[in-house]
Amino acid sequence: MIYLKDIKKSFNQQPVLKGINLKIGKGEVVTILGPSGSGKTTLLRCLNFLEKPEEGIVQVGDIQVKSKKATKREILSLRRQSAMVFQHYNLFAHKTVLENVMEGLIVTKKYKKAEAKRESELLLEKVGLGDKHNYFPSQLSGGQQQRVGIARALALNPEVILFDEPTSALDPELVGEVLSVIKAIAQEGITMVIVTHEMSFAKEISDRVLFMDGGVIVEEGSPLEIFNAPKEDRTRQFLNRISRDFSVSFLEERAN
Amino acid sequence: MTIDILFIWTAFKEIIRALPITLILTIFPLLAGFIIGLAVALIRIYKVKFLSGIANGYVSFFRGTPIIMHIMLIYFGFPLLIDQISKKFDLGIQSNSIPIILFVLTALSLSAGAYLSEIFRSGIISVSNGQMEAAYSVGMNSFQAMTRIVLPQAIAQSIPNFTNIFIGFLHTSSIAFIVSQKEMTGAANIVASTNLKFLESFIAAGLIYWGLTIIAEGLSFLIEKKATAYNRGGVQ
Repeated sequence: MIYLKDIKKSFNQQPVLKGINLKIGKGEVVTILGPSGSGKTTLLRCLNFLEKPEEGIVQVGDIQVKSKKATKREILSLRRQSAMVFQHYNLFAHKTVLENVMEGLIVTKKYKKAEAKRESELLLEKVGLGDKHNYFPSQLSGGQQQRVGIARALALNPEVILFDEPTSALDPELVGEVLSVIKAIAQEGITMVIVTHEMSFAKEISDRVLFMDGGVIVEEGSPLEIFNAPKEDRTRQFLNRISRDFSVSFLEERAN
Repeated sequence: MTIDILFIWTAFKEIIRALPITLILTIFPLLAGFIIGLAVALIRIYKVKFLSGIANGYVSFFRGTPIIMHIMLIYFGFPLLIDQISKKFDLGIQSNSIPIILFVLTALSLSAGAYLSEIFRSGIISVSNGQMEAAYSVGMNSFQAMTRIVLPQAIAQSIPNFTNIFIGFLHTSSIAFIVSQKEMTGAANIVASTNLKFLESFIAAGLIYWGLTIIAEGLSFLIEKKATAYNRGGVQ
């Protein structure tokens, strides 16, 4: 399904990905964790060439692209294997909710307008926005916008959906509605790669968890292995930092 | 010297007959400039090899020199060029058979193209990069992403700037008078000097320009309100 070989990427001579190898099977839900600057978002963006890796092979579905000699056409067909849900939603600002979902169907899937409309209405119903068809993104809350983003991604019926920190720009009270939509579609067997900071969500939804730091995959395993028995120091430190609330109360207890 | 209020109305009626020429001298260059400006802006944004150098030079020259000079250069330069080429290839075109207004329109179009290209460029740059990425993520190619997603937003956001340029060019069209195009300022001059009533004539001309500007601003406001409705938030 997804196959990465020796992916390298640097920004201004600063290496961000130092040779990533990865295989993801069909229907698998993989979350990528790691401190900021660890390269997890960059890795995700390499999967649809929003970042162009300097070296290595990217394969999604049947399309394989060698980074060094990727042509425009190859990149386009690679991109059409996947869909992305962005941290800042990136809905098409001048299009209504319904048009946002229809856009990909019309442009890349060559649907007829009526067909695209019917399909999009179903998807908006599914993410709980059946009553917001004619709203513009600027008229919606962050959580609603992100659900439109998810519907837009689903509409493409892609091999894989890439989630780039889908809840980190949301107000805490809106995180839940987005996560529950993602959980629902995970149960449908769609392949997903998710970069997130929501630990309990990752624990619950993932088939496999990757922990990245310093441009490499430090450790990977089932959620149970990563969260309950991390092998690597760096993973342990990260998880401790993330669950600081827990550690602080633990330390306070000890101090008492 | 006293002011002859009634003559303002007489002059007004005389001057407004030149309105069509003024409008032609304003609208045509802006339409041509719209196309030139868009092409130049895209060439500069995408840094198209070879062409971007030319585009940079074009914008720098035409924004860096007064429009009156463009009219002069083209009015005096082009006939020379055309006659030379015609002679060389035996085309039989004579520059003095070409209506002067074409030279003026050419000059104004080139100036408008340069100014508009910067408006397009700023408009396109102002659309967040995320819009382009989202377009790519749903499988669009660069052309589709540009024409379906980025340009509509860039143009909608640039409407106040377009209006500015329209008003500027409405007023700039008055300098066509120096190569004896009888647009409104030219008409005002003629009315003024034949009747020796300068103040009255130019008050009349001023009122017409002002009126046109107010109409343009009103239209622009309505169009902008409609075109950028998506950006205003709030609930329906």
